[in-house]
Amino acid sequence: MWTGPGSLGPRLAHGLRFTEMAGSSVAEVQRAAIWRNVRFLRVVGQLVFAVVVVWAFRELYLNLEYGVRRVGTDLSFDFLQTRSGIPIKEGIAYDPNQSYLRAYVVAVANTVRVAGIGVVLAMLLGLVIGVARLSPNWLVRKIAQVYVEVIRNTPVLIQIIFWYFGILFALPLIEGGLSLGGVAFLSQRGAAIPWPHIGEGAGAWGLWLLGGLVLAGAVWWWRTKVNERTGRPHHRVLWSLPVLVAVAAVGYAIVGDAVRLDVPEVAGRLYRGGFQLSGEFTGILVGLVIYTAAFIAEIVRGSILAVDRGQKEAAQALGLSPAQQLRFVVLPQAFRIAVPPLNSQFLNLTKNSSLAVAVAYPELSSVSSTMINQAGRPFQITMLVMATYLTMSLTISFVMNVVNRVVTRKGEGR
Amino acid sequence: MMDRVPTELERVAAMLKEEPVVEFAPRREPVAPSGWIRQNLFSGWFSGILTILVGAVVGYLGFGLLKWAFLTADWTVIKANLRLYMVGRFPPDELWRVWACVYLVTALAGLSWGVTRKRLAWTVRKAATRGALAVLALASLAYLLDGVRIWVLVGAVVVIYAAAVMAGRLGARRLHIPVIVGWVLAFPLIILLLRGFGGVPPERWGGFLLNVVVAVVGIVLSFPIGIVLALGRRSSLPVIRVSCIGIIEFVRGAPLYTWLLFGLFVLPFLLPAGVVLPNIVRAMIVVTVFSSAYVAEIVRGGLQGVHLGQYEAARAIGLSTTKMMAFIVLPQALRSTIPAMISHFISLFKDTSLLAVIGFIEALRIARIAPQGQFSGDLRETLIFAGLLFWMVAFAMSRWSQRLERRLGVGER
Repeated sequence: MWTGPGSLGPRLAHGLRFTEMAGSSVAEVQRAAIWRNVRFLRVVGQLVFAVVVVWAFRELYLNLEYGVRRVGTDLSFDFLQTRSGIPIKEGIAYDPNQSYLRAYVVAVANTVRVAGIGVVLAMLLGLVIGVARLSPNWLVRKIAQVYVEVIRNTPVLIQIIFWYFGILFALPLIEGGLSLGGVAFLSQRGAAIPWPHIGEGAGAWGLWLLGGLVLAGAVWWWRTKVNERTGRPHHRVLWSLPVLVAVAAVGYAIVGDAVRLDVPEVAGRLYRGGFQLSGEFTGILVGLVIYTAAFIAEIVRGSILAVDRGQKEAAQALGLSPAQQLRFVVLPQAFRIAVPPLNSQFLNLTKNSSLAVAVAYPELSSVSSTMINQAGRPFQITMLVMATYLTMSLTISFVMNVVNRVVTRKGEGR
Repeated sequence: MMDRVPTELERVAAMLKEEPVVEFAPRREPVAPSGWIRQNLFSGWFSGILTILVGAVVGYLGFGLLKWAFLTADWTVIKANLRLYMVGRFPPDELWRVWACVYLVTALAGLSWGVTRKRLAWTVRKAATRGALAVLALASLAYLLDGVRIWVLVGAVVVIYAAAVMAGRLGARRLHIPVIVGWVLAFPLIILLLRGFGGVPPERWGGFLLNVVVAVVGIVLSFPIGIVLALGRRSSLPVIRVSCIGIIEFVRGAPLYTWLLFGLFVLPFLLPAGVVLPNIVRAMIVVTVFSSAYVAEIVRGGLQGVHLGQYEAARAIGLSTTKMMAFIVLPQALRSTIPAMISHFISLFKDTSLLAVIGFIEALRIARIAPQGQFSGDLRETLIFAGLLFWMVAFAMSRWSQRLERRLGVGER
């Protein structure tokens, strides 16, 4: 691998003149002029560069300090402790009398919420569309293609604003809102869907579940053994799943009130119960998921196509069924190809969540721009925001790197 | 399994069974419509159900959409605000400058399309699609445009484009380098046309023009900066390497919106006292720096793809580091990055819509203000039109990229 200017440096850096290298006598070794010495030049060059960088940063800092003093503020982070007064309606407990720091924490939590849910949903939708693009069914294939071409080539910000102002605002008010069989609702106020509610007996039922899992695992192991010993079909899923379900059901009957489905209802002008999504959250989430899914679909499609044709044909030759070919041969290899680009899509989704500022969903970016307007400390706030996003990006990259290592090793372990 | 396309192997096997003569390129028998439908829509029970379900949903949605577009929607708001959409508050007397830029870019786009294309390949299906698109475009233009003057101006765009495509195709061999040089020169020329000779200050640029100009500035300037950053990142000098990694990762770590806030609120403080840059110039600086970091990562990928032997060969024939990079490594590295680079430029172009959020009067912003007042206040028509503007440019760029990719054989080596 190329190692930069002077990669031949160490070899020529003895200060030997060329003639002497070819040369006659070791005693005549003479030092070359110091400015011809590559090693010396490298050190000096870097020193000069470092000095220039430090000097530039010092200048910028002095400008900043002067400018900040001129407008009558400072560069400290003390303002974070003062009362914020920013109204935030969503997320973890908060009231405007609390500090800027608390408002910031709430905003970060909201960003994590929208990015986390968004990544999962975008992945699912992208997988479906990506597979649809490879479908032998012409209609399905074409529709997936149109979806990708339209969504991918339009700005995500326009899409988010469209879903929020164009679609959600055009929905009926909550009184006449759409209702899906009386269990899920959609209106200008946002959406409400049924959600599991954890009851008092949840802990005890959890133990039952655990026991059921262990038992099902044992049955699984036993069927595998039977299959290995006698060669009869193992039917592991058919055997273990009923065991698990039976244990869980018995446990549920004995414990009572472990988990129940909390169905939302319309109460006046509000939703009550269930999992409620505000209009702003729905808008940004739908926008991000639909946009990112188009890119993920292309990654899925590309990765499946990138798996060598011979692999599938070999699997076929071994007599695997189409589902088995996909499950054991194509997808594991496709997944390995897909991990790095998926990582960058997840990062993009997280960073694009900053566009929530356009629909006033109170996440990091929109809260921080309010903070800049109110507290008047743009430098500290933008630095804080950048550091936060950087931390999130690095976390996602770290997780994906771990995933990458796992899926790569699986193949190489043999 | 019935709903499965036979693979190459099966086809060959089947052919061998029936016909001992191996054809290298089996001729495709024309399929009757009924056979086509069976093969592509109802090849098995799963495929059949899928076709019916998807067809029903798409039919319902498509019908609703068409009904809305032709009966409910009020497109007069677009017609009334067309100039705002395109150029914002650009002085009407100076519009010839914009038209000159449009013609320049049209000619370049036509040439680029022409030189990457081998021959006309008109099939019946392609001709039908293109004809339908042309009719649709003409109908929309007929609705949107008023007056003979504008028709002549728009007609000139079409004529210039067609002429450039032809010229490009005829001179395909000789025109590659001139076209690239032309695109590089287009940036200063556009700025000169808009700004020079007592022109219009950047504060008055607006609408879609602003999106395009900011994108062009970002693309043209970030390209060399990105290459320098990428080379710096691969340098053996630790100080330079670490600085470049720091810059690239820090810039990429935060979203563009945060960087635009930085440019708007923090950058003025960092400049020496007395230096005041217009808002739009600061936004351009931010966009350029932001894009450079991404370009750097793309170029780094390309550099890593260059075979080690190429470096060694360059060394062996005694090239200096500069010459090795300029004549051996970078040409190969950049060639392999073309698809990624163009898709980055497309996304940069789309991201210029973020300017709307920080108060610039560009296309998306117009889409949000236009319906207020005498119109219904419904944003759907205006947003769709703004989206369409972006879509046309982005889609054309992505198609051109695919064509270039095929032509250069990227990914085949």
